[in-house]
Amino acid sequence: MALHRLSFRLRQMILQERHVRTLRTSGCVQQQEAVAESEPEPFSVFRTQESDPACHSEKHVGQFYTVPPAHVRIVFPYGLPRRYIEQVKTFNEACLMVRQPALEVISYLKKTDFSKPALRYVFYGVRGSGKSLSLCHTVHFCYTQGWLVLHIPDALRWVKDCTELLPSSYNTSRFDQPLQAVEWLRNFRTTNEQFLSKIKIKQRYVWTKREFTEEGSLLGELVDQGISRVKSSSDVVGALMKELRLQSGQPESNFRLAVAVNSVNALWGKSNIMKEDRSAVDPEELTLIHNLRKLMNNDWTGGAIITTVSQTGSVLIPKSAYLPQELLGKKGFDTMDPFVPVSVPNYSEKEFESCYLYYMDRHWLQHPQSLTEDGKKELIFLSNRNPTMLERICSSL
Amino acid sequence: MAASLTGLLKPWTPRVFLVRWSRYNPYYLEPEFRKEVYSKSEAELTAEEKEQRELKVIRPIKAATHGVNSSVFYDPVVSKFTNMMMKHGEKTLARQIMTQTLETLKRKQVEKYHKASEEQKEEIECNPYAIFHQALDNCKPVVGLANIQKGGKNYQVPVPLTDSRRRFLAMKWMITECRENKHRRTHMYEKLSQELMAAYMKEGNVIKKKFELHKMAEANRAYAHYRWW
Repeated sequence: MALHRLSFRLRQMILQERHVRTLRTSGCVQQQEAVAESEPEPFSVFRTQESDPACHSEKHVGQFYTVPPAHVRIVFPYGLPRRYIEQVKTFNEACLMVRQPALEVISYLKKTDFSKPALRYVFYGVRGSGKSLSLCHTVHFCYTQGWLVLHIPDALRWVKDCTELLPSSYNTSRFDQPLQAVEWLRNFRTTNEQFLSKIKIKQRYVWTKREFTEEGSLLGELVDQGISRVKSSSDVVGALMKELRLQSGQPESNFRLAVAVNSVNALWGKSNIMKEDRSAVDPEELTLIHNLRKLMNNDWTGGAIITTVSQTGSVLIPKSAYLPQELLGKKGFDTMDPFVPVSVPNYSEKEFESCYLYYMDRHWLQHPQSLTEDGKKELIFLSNRNPTMLERICSSL
Repeated sequence: MAASLTGLLKPWTPRVFLVRWSRYNPYYLEPEFRKEVYSKSEAELTAEEKEQRELKVIRPIKAATHGVNSSVFYDPVVSKFTNMMMKHGEKTLARQIMTQTLETLKRKQVEKYHKASEEQKEEIECNPYAIFHQALDNCKPVVGLANIQKGGKNYQVPVPLTDSRRRFLAMKWMITECRENKHRRTHMYEKLSQELMAAYMKEGNVIKKKFELHKMAEANRAYAHYRWW
């Protein structure tokens, strides 16, 4: 085993000759290198030392970058797919692959004109092709650039399997979801700690006869109000979204708003929840969804909307549907139109190589046959280079 | 018995070709599903193998069973264990449990590996297949007990076991232990992974059962001569 590792490292060092020159020319990496990677630690084909998404470029496509542990806890308190969280726990590090779709959206975000209405980006692709993680990469970029991130990690959770449904206090024809709203507010507070004490609310909100939030109080107080008073938490979420939307384009506000929604097709699809008389609830009748739909319109400035559409987990949609038109439906497409569609394909050959080497490095491929050429060919055949399928197959090998 | 009769069989072609039937005329040959056997060139074959190839041209061959494949990752022991775990013919569920068990074993070990210091890393076994095989080997009993009636009384007589019987007993004990003696609300793959890990470390209920069987056999050593085979 030790001998294998030694020969593997030698192989990597020989292969690195070409990559060393290209890496050294990039400006951001030079600063990182000054911090010192000591000589015995070889560069890897599949890893990059660049942990700042702003400095990622085409040279880094296919390579894994490590999300700093502090960022993982803050930016993604509930943002990552379940199997990825287990992988992070097992490997003791959070590594994301730099891929072309995420790089494209990041480059557009760098060039956004904040005086124009917000542009909508939609990641789409077959099941398991890496849309959620591309979204997480983009969210990490927005966080490192100091934007205010409104991350809804899974819109489907708001539309399926809701145990507690209260009639809304604001509008009697709508329904509240207190548990989901409180959970989301908590995560929002963790991610955007720094903005809570800087942004002031412009309107007076009355929650009950005795509770109200004055004009000019801080955003943090609004969020705390929502977390402590569970009954009005959905309305707090709505108020928060409205405030941020109104304030984001104004000249006096000093923040940029990034709205990141995973599985945005849940907003216009069908829902799983039933009313007491066993009739289905339309997503329009849920407060959280109603407010989120207002955010999806491009009538505000000073930020961007990044979303994914996914069939996995969506209610009553055929498995073969993966294009935005099919998944959003007529209403959704009319609302989201015009948007920038970004296709997320399966791994290319280079990316597959990179993933394979990463798993080998982390000692995840343990079957002796999986390290041979025949085993690799079989993995390519079985998974069709689909990231999720590859992960599932490798997990039992 | 089939092997001894094979020499006496006359050349015979079946009138009706059998599919999905496990009782074959001893004339039928076993199927060869491993890829490496077919990639050998003419020069590498020994005399026996050349004879086998001649036979295969003439004689009919049994149909291969369902779980058998020529994948590089195929393991007959794992396949047998999955079949034994299967209930009501639900092979997909049994296979899913098996893959989840191997994954859980690997996850726990790899997590320990990444958090351990350099000296401890050498001792941690991360390969779930190695753990699985070693655990089953640790559970295999060496002698078994047979019920022999002599002079109106039934005696438990210690008896040598064939390899297949030992493997079967180890797997059977592992599965029954996990099904019955664990907490109701845990998943089968969690129970299995805990029990396999314990058996790998030579602790746990299945190892205890094996030792109890050995003790009974040792206690009944006096009746060993009652065995006539």
